[in-house]
Formats: sequence, structure tokens, C-alpha cells
Amino acid sequence: MNATSTKSDYLLLFRGNVWDRGLSPAQIQKVVSDWMAWFEGLKAEGKCLGGHPLEERGKVVSGKQRTVADGPFAESKEAIGGYFYLTVADEDEAIEIAKRCPGLEYGSVVEVRPVADVCSIRQRVDEYSTQQLADATA
Amino acid sequence: MLLFRGPHWDQGLSTDELQRTMDNIMAWFEGLNERGKIKGAQPLSAQGRTISGTNGRFVVDGPFTETKEAVGGYLVLQADSFEDAVEVARTNPALRYGVSVEVRPILAECPIFARHPEIVRRAGERAASVRDPWATMAA
Amino acid sequence: MSQSTEPTAAAAPGDISRLTDHLFRHEAGKLISVLTGIFGINRLQLAEDVVQESLIRALRTWPYTGVPKNPAAWLTQTAKNLALDLIRREKLFHDKEPQIIALMEQWPSESAEHESPMFENEIRDGRLRLMFACCHPALSAEDQTALALRTLCAFSPAEIGKAFLTTEAAIAKRLTRAKQKIRDEHIPFEIPAGDELSRRLDGVLQTLYLLFNEGYKASSGDHLIREELCLEAIQLASLLAEHPAGDRPRTHALAALMLFNAARLPGRIDREGNILRLKEQDRSTWNQAMIARGMQRLTLSAAGTELTPYHLQAGIAACHCVAIDYQATEWEKILSLYDQLLELDSSPIIALNRAVAVANVHGAQAGVDAVHSIERGTQLNSYYLLYAVLGELETQLHHFQAAIANFRKALELTELTSEQLFLSKRLAETERSSLQNVA
Repeated sequence: MNATSTKSDYLLLFRGNVWDRGLSPAQIQKVVSDWMAWFEGLKAEGKCLGGHPLEERGKVVSGKQRTVADGPFAESKEAIGGYFYLTVADEDEAIEIAKRCPGLEYGSVVEVRPVADVCSIRQRVDEYSTQQLADATA
Repeated sequence: MLLFRGPHWDQGLSTDELQRTMDNIMAWFEGLNERGKIKGAQPLSAQGRTISGTNGRFVVDGPFTETKEAVGGYLVLQADSFEDAVEVARTNPALRYGVSVEVRPILAECPIFARHPEIVRRAGERAASVRDPWATMAA
Repeated sequence: MSQSTEPTAAAAPGDISRLTDHLFRHEAGKLISVLTGIFGINRLQLAEDVVQESLIRALRTWPYTGVPKNPAAWLTQTAKNLALDLIRREKLFHDKEPQIIALMEQWPSESAEHESPMFENEIRDGRLRLMFACCHPALSAEDQTALALRTLCAFSPAEIGKAFLTTEAAIAKRLTRAKQKIRDEHIPFEIPAGDELSRRLDGVLQTLYLLFNEGYKASSGDHLIREELCLEAIQLASLLAEHPAGDRPRTHALAALMLFNAARLPGRIDREGNILRLKEQDRSTWNQAMIARGMQRLTLSAAGTELTPYHLQAGIAACHCVAIDYQATEWEKILSLYDQLLELDSSPIIALNRAVAVANVHGAQAGVDAVHSIERGTQLNSYYLLYAVLGELETQLHHFQAAIANFRKALELTELTSEQLFLSKRLAETERSSLQNVA
């Protein structure tokens, strides 16, 4: 992330892997063209640094036992299908960009998430450490 | 891609435990980084907006899912196989505190065409000569 | 710790333009027929599902990675992988599984050195077999056209609904019923031979003709989809004509007829969407390349002694196409062709069209007499064009009251906005003329 410029980074997370099911070949072809143009345009403007689609399969690792389970991705409105990494002026700009997603027309949902400078937990730890240090040397 | 969920896992921990865990997590990241396995990673702010509807007319505050399911960060991992990626995920120190890690393969570029560009080009030419009549008609 | 993600490789320029018009729909149509050849006609739905999933995969990746160098091969490869995966995973074919997998492995693979001519033949044969299966006499005419549009031309149920002015749900039901019928009647997935081929070919031609007419007539729905229907019908007819099974004079005649009519589509509607009469049309909008192709087909159809209604209709359409303007039209030739057509097919609609030719050759009164001499059944009595034609002819004869009555009757019988507008205009003009004459 740029420390010196006034830009901020955002992740666009594309949610839902069922919106494309009922589409006709003609509709799918249109979304492909539109999405490509959108992605290419953003990259050309330097606003998008990259993006990827994610495969539908996946695993979820959780718990103390570190159990591995199959991801609940079949026919899900929440499953993340892909992402764009944006670097733009502010959240409003990221939102305006997100509104142009060609999948929205058919039920896809776009989540706009600011990329955090520093992990908030880390920040708390650092603050606490700094405080402790201050106390110790006071 | 590894997606980390459950950003408020730190609640209820003593600050000592927190410090230790954070150190472990940092070490985990650094270890992976040194082995060249991290292509990119960021934590995500708990805020954000969710956009839906034609032309994105519905803009709602907050991430898409409830807090405990919300994505708190991501890591793009370079791994030899999907199974390896899952194994890496299993070593994350925050798992014992309720963080779950979703492992999703990133769809690679069409391997076919990357591997055999000259073959594909020839096939493309042949296909053009056997084109459907109406396609030329429509001109 | 923070690093930005790498930018993905940029797509080559002109990538999006490599998505040729209707690429997805045409590839889907081809793939459905090939997969049906492998899965069997009873698994038509499965073939459709695999193909739909392949398109969705393209949707998932191409926007990020760019259009592949050979999009059709990518789709084929994806469909093949999906099908193999499905067959193995879901154990759908029980004992036939090894044969099916063996068939599929013969598809051109990613490491194939050469484009496989055998595969191209397989695609063509598959489409023809599917054509004969969809146009089987055991299915109702409506079901045949809907099924052909769905499986051969990969129109979605919603698009088909728009063409036939009905709902997507109604079409979906029709399709399900048709596929069930195929299973129940054991309709085979093959190109018939011998005597049966001749009979069945007529059925296929009939369905293609109906399909074309759905697109051609102004009484269908969405105008863009209508044009596509015409072009798809032409493509299927050409495919049929170029295969030994379909290479008969009447197939060429039908293709010629379709080409001559489709060529003139651009001239039929003015910029505001109003219907133009033949005499008003701007002939420079007619597609000369299509007309030329139609002439080629017409020549091929003249081989041998076969003379079918398609031949005669194509001949009539050709007369219009070669006339540089309305006045130059050889109406005598057209009339003679209608006379022959009537002998083969005594349909009142044809008789009505002949009456128009009579009027052009022998004058409006002769035309009116010809109309009145047509045997009226209920079909003709509720056909708006009957009254529209009478209205035109009576106007020419200055029988304004009769003309007005006929136009009013025609207006009652049509529901299409474009036709209503046209008829209202004619009615208004006639009313004005009648007032001028009285004054």
C-alpha cells in the first residue's frame, strides 16, 4: 500500500455463485464482454492492481483440532467468486466502481472492504506494548 | 487464496496471551514470506459497504455477512497443490481462538493456451475456413 | 508484511472483439448436439446442463484472463472435462460408462497436433441427427419448433417465449413435455435412410419453414430475436443441404426461399417501426449478397424433375428480388407461378396472394373478383390480410365505403401494434380520399 500518496486500497469481493445459472448464452456472452471491459479499463487507469476468480471448490480449516471441512460453496449467495484489488482516492470512488459490476443486474453482490493499514489487533497490541514501555520507563 | 474469518477472536484473551499469539502470527507470516510463499496479504477493515441491485442501486453499510463470518483478511498463497495450501492453512496460530480459514484455489489462466500457443493458432485458422455460412451472410 | 497483489497479465488488444456475434449461442448449439450424440437422446437435458455449465465457467474466468486464442476450442475442452467428470462422479451410465468415456477421449485434446476433420464431421452429423430427432412427427408442430430452437440454436426459454409471444414458463413446460415424449416414444437419435429419409426430410423442412416464418412474420414478438430466428433457420437449412442426407432439390429450394425473404427484411420497416408496403420499400436496403446466395441455391434446386411448393415460392420471391423497382416487377411470371403453386397446395392464403398478383396483371376489379372466388373457410374469414387486401383493391377502384368497411374489419382482427398502426393509417387516408371525392 502506498504510504506516500493520498490513495487508499480496497478489496471488491464478488459474492454469490448462483446468479449466472439462469442466463442464456447471449446474456452470458454480454456479461463476459462487459466484465472484461470493466476490468481492463480499471487496470489501464491504474485503479485496479489485479483480480482473480476463485474456484468453486474449497476447504474450511477451523478449531483447535484444525479440522478440515469442505467449503459450503455449492449454490451459495455468499460464496466469494472473485476479487479486485483497487487503489483509488476514497471509499466513494471504490463504491462507484463497484456499482458498475455487470453481474449486479443478475443478482451478484459486491462487497467493498477497505484494506487496513495495520491489523487492528496488532494495533491494540502495539498500543499496549507502547503503554507498558512508557509505564516502565516513567 | 486464504480468507480469514472471525475478526473478533481476540475478545476474552488476556493481554499477555494476546501478545504471545500476535508474535506467533507474525512469525507464521514471516516464515511463509521468507520461503517466498506469500504473493500478497492484507488485513481488511471491519467497515465497508455491500452493493447490490441493478447498477448497484442498493448500498448498505457493513460487510456482507455477520461479524463472526465476515472476512477479516486475506492471503494469496503460492503453494504446490491445493492440499499443500490446506496444510499451510492448518498451521495458522489463530485457529485455536476461533478464526476459520477458507482455502480457495485461484483460477489460473487457461493452461491449454499458455502451453501450446502454436497448436491453438493452427486450429483457429482451420476453424475459420470451415465457418458457418450464415456468419458470412450476416455481413 | 504488506505487499500488494501482482497485477494479472493484460489481455491482448482486440480480445473482446474476438467474441464474435453469438459465439456462445452457436458453440452451445454445436456442443449440445455432439454431447447428445454421446449421452443419447434420452439425456438431452444432461447435454444442455453440461453446456450451460461450460459457458458459466467461461464467464468466471475470461473477464480476468482475457478471451482465449481459440474460444470455441476452450469451450469444447471445458465441456468435455465437465462431462467426463460428471460421468465418472455420478455414475450415470452404469455399464455403458467405458464406451462413453472412450468416445469422449476421442475428442481433440489439448495436446492434439492437428485440427481433427473427423471431429468437424461429428459435429455436423450430430446436428443433423438432432435436427431429425427434434422434427419427429410424433411431436406436435409447436413442440418441434420450440425444441429445435432450444437444442439446435441454443435459445433460452425466455428468448423463445419472446418469439412466440408466450411466457418462459409455458415454453419450459413445452420443452419438458417434448423431451418426455422423446423418451416415451423411443424417438431415435439418427439420420434416417431410404424411404423413411424422404418422408422425414419433408417433416424437417416443414419445421425449418415454420421456424423461419416465426421470425419473418410481423406478428412475432421482439424484433431482434425475430431476425435471429430467420438467420438460424437459414443456417440449419444450409447445413442440411450440404449433407448427403439432405442434399435434395427441395432443400435447396427452401434455403433459396429463406434467403430471398431474409434479404428483404431490412426494407420492410421504416425508421419509426412502421410496416412498408412492397411498393414503398427502399430496395437499396435489400441484402444483395444474400440474394446472390439465394440464386445459387435456386440453381441447385433446379436439378432433376422435382417441383415442390418451396420451388415455386422461391421463384416468386426471386421475381421480387430481381426487380429494380416495383414497376419493373414481372407480375405475369409471378401469376403463373402462383397458378402452379395453387395446383400443388390449394391453401386459401396462397389463393389470396395469387389474387394480389391477378390485380397487378389484370387490374383491381379482377383482383377483387379473384378474392371473392376463394372458398371461404373460417381460417380465411378471420385472417386480417383478407380484408386488408380487399381494402387496398377497393380503394384503387374508388369504392371508398367498401374499402373503409374492409379496413375496419382488418383492424378488428389484428392485435399487433405495428399492423394496427399501418391499418389505421390506411383507413385514415381512405377516409380522407372518400371525403375529397364527395366534395
